[in-house]
Amino acid sequence: MIAALMREWRLLAGPARAGLAVLALLASVAVALGLADVRQTRADIARVAALEARETAAIAGFAKGDAGEFGYYRNFPVWRAPGDLAFLAPARGDAVPAVMRIRILALEGQINDNEAANPELLLAGRFDFAFVTLYLGPLLLIALLHDLWSGEREAGRLAALDSLPWARRRLWLPRAAIRCGLVALALLVPLAAGGVIEGTAAERLALAAALVLASIGFWALVTLAVARVEAASATQAAVLAGLWFAITLVIPAAAHLAINAAVPLPDAAAIARENREEVHAGWDRPKTETMARFVALYPAYAAQAQTGVAFTWKWYFAFQALGDEAVAADSASRDAGIARREAQAQALGWLLPPIKVAQALQGLAGSDVAADLAFKADLRAYHRRLREYHYPYLFGGAPMTPADVAAAPVWGQ
Amino acid sequence: MSRVRTIAAAQLRLFVRSRLAVVALALLLMLSLIAAVTGAGQAARMAADRATAQAASNSAFANQPDRHPHRMVHYGTYALRPLGPLAAFDPGVDAFAGSLIFLEGHRQNATTLGAARESSGLIRFGQLAPAFVLRVLVPLLLVFVGFAMVVGERQSGLTTLQLSHGASLRDLIAGKALALGAVAGVAALPALGALGWAAAQAPADAGIALMMALAALLWLGLWVLAITLVSARAASAQSALLALVLGWAVVVVLVPRAAAGVAALAYPLPTKAETDLVIHDELRRMGDSHNPDDPHFAAFKAGLLRRYNVALVEDLPFNYRGALSAEGERLTSLLFARHAADTAAIQMRQHDLLALIGLASPAIGFAQASMAGAGTDLAGHIAFLDAAEAHRYRLIQSLNGLHTWQVKGAADAARNRDPIAERQSRISSQFWAQQRPFAHAGPSVAARMAGMLPGLAVMLVWAALLVWLLRRAGMGAEA
Repeated sequence: MIAALMREWRLLAGPARAGLAVLALLASVAVALGLADVRQTRADIARVAALEARETAAIAGFAKGDAGEFGYYRNFPVWRAPGDLAFLAPARGDAVPAVMRIRILALEGQINDNEAANPELLLAGRFDFAFVTLYLGPLLLIALLHDLWSGEREAGRLAALDSLPWARRRLWLPRAAIRCGLVALALLVPLAAGGVIEGTAAERLALAAALVLASIGFWALVTLAVARVEAASATQAAVLAGLWFAITLVIPAAAHLAINAAVPLPDAAAIARENREEVHAGWDRPKTETMARFVALYPAYAAQAQTGVAFTWKWYFAFQALGDEAVAADSASRDAGIARREAQAQALGWLLPPIKVAQALQGLAGSDVAADLAFKADLRAYHRRLREYHYPYLFGGAPMTPADVAAAPVWGQ
Repeated sequence: MSRVRTIAAAQLRLFVRSRLAVVALALLLMLSLIAAVTGAGQAARMAADRATAQAASNSAFANQPDRHPHRMVHYGTYALRPLGPLAAFDPGVDAFAGSLIFLEGHRQNATTLGAARESSGLIRFGQLAPAFVLRVLVPLLLVFVGFAMVVGERQSGLTTLQLSHGASLRDLIAGKALALGAVAGVAALPALGALGWAAAQAPADAGIALMMALAALLWLGLWVLAITLVSARAASAQSALLALVLGWAVVVVLVPRAAAGVAALAYPLPTKAETDLVIHDELRRMGDSHNPDDPHFAAFKAGLLRRYNVALVEDLPFNYRGALSAEGERLTSLLFARHAADTAAIQMRQHDLLALIGLASPAIGFAQASMAGAGTDLAGHIAFLDAAEAHRYRLIQSLNGLHTWQVKGAADAARNRDPIAERQSRISSQFWAQQRPFAHAGPSVAARMAGMLPGLAVMLVWAALLVWLLRRAGMGAEA
């Protein structure tokens, strides 16, 4: 077997070897770009956290322990730290920020903020490892395998080769195996290198490698099935390129249209307006009404909810919370709609294995829609923790000592 | 010339007889019909939704009750990026650029919304709009239909036969190119029909729509020339197909993505969070409104007292608090404008780098030209951001003006503890209705046309190069 593989390697034509080298190069570049992206994201997060600490110190200078001043001016950094496989499909520069700052004011006006990204770069799509695996690997595989039999037929050698004893085991199998194996190697070696640099957990790296192999396996089966049909090599190449094109471009784009049409979402602009109306109506409503509604949510503060005629921060933050409460159901149904759209896209992936591989790679990288939604859910939970950390000071009236300021909940802890 | 036409007609008959070509063309026509119809429906719905949201936001602002003007500074308003009629043909960056901004005092908010944040992950595979059909799908169809048209006949010995009957290789090549060009014209019909339909909705855009149609035909023309050239030069039909599919993958799929990756690394954009923090820091150094001894605001106050020749701010002929708000807004907005300009400059440098890389891959040039024409390009988005910020500043300063001149200083100072002063500090709701609502028509037709020129120029250079190579192919083999 080894000898047969070595023979097939020697028989591999120059353009085929060049193609493999280019694929390995592109996969390496994609991994290197991914690693650079991940490093920049981590640096972005670290810089924002450091700048935020300085900002908080400046606020402490004029807030003088007033929990209301802290609550109004202080921002808390939140981020999506890239995981150990983020380099496969990094999210830096996405519309969803990798790092943002939130206040304990109404969250609804903050949670949908976009990154100041260049939309033209997002439109083009990413050149990352997931892209190389989904688009370029299969294309090379098709080029290498489509004329496995027809190429020999057109050269007039097929009958002679097929009449060899054990032709299948000694000739066609090693020939197909070396070509698939080399395509796999061109992808897996850069992947492994990236994993080593990132210190990726072995089982996660193995999972990513298995996805790459699944993609290659799928395309190898499809290509060999078409190659087996007796037809001109050019026809086989055209059919396979057409399949590749349909699976990786046309069907996903058409399905995207269909899914968005099938699953309508509540109007986000209307939700934003309603949230604002509710918050600002707080200024005009009787303070007692606002406080009564707040106490219904937080009965623990019933004894501390009385207000006078003068402005008081606890009342201000009470109507901020009520503003979020008013649109909570709409906002949740919007997120549920997005999740339903993604679920349908994932279902399509089960029909089209290459799409599933791309989705799974994005899942491992933490840059898929599920990760966006999980980030939003974490953000809501963190915002609640922050608010509830400040309420005892706002309602109890005790000043925030520097230790209290420092002890506020930290994202991810 | 008549011989060229005869050859083209014969080639077209061959195309029609080829099952693969007819099925592929039929599928493509169906697909682009779907893209055209859903694209038009979706764009019309989105444009209407945004117009409705803008109107709702405007009327909500105009109908607020009597209030203190600073409350309106925080109540704020919304700006929505309008969607031009040609977006149905090419939605461009629309899905990836937020379409809504909340405009309020003291802050320059991020955009929100955008289709990319409310769709499944499939949006990364591309959006099936007519422009996408023309840029991505039609060229590959032409490859499948035309790869063998010259080399196939040479392999089967037909070319020698035709040449021996007096046809020149040049006529042969020209005829084949003409036939493939006819296929390209048919394939482009639904997408161009969508463009025509969109232009019919907005006659003012007819001229630029025509330019966009020409850009699309030029782009497909490049493919007709390239396919004919490769088919004339290739050793076998199979190698012609492989070379063309590979070329398509590199030019249409690979290079635009790689270029975006390179541009992002070459000109890194700071995150919005970092920019905001830097602005806060710079602001504290310019003038810290929280610091009662801040030199900038102390000088501002002293200047006003001197100009009006009074000793106390209470003696000024207007409300000092309003003037102070206006001065604070002026300072923050200076920084907002500077940093927004920096961000836009980095993004435009990224755009220019893409255009430069587009010399190697005219797909970039075509995409940029098409988006520019539709008004859905990066420049259009930046123009919207600038218009929104200009509106924000004008509105907030107008409200600060009302605060300064319409609210009595004494009532203003006591409003947080005295209900009567609070009532006196409110001003009539009629002032809100007098504020000019946000209106942004998008980039002008002239600006959009100018934005198309670089992409068109790149495609013309490529066309000249391909024609030259094709002429050499026609003569070289003849000699």
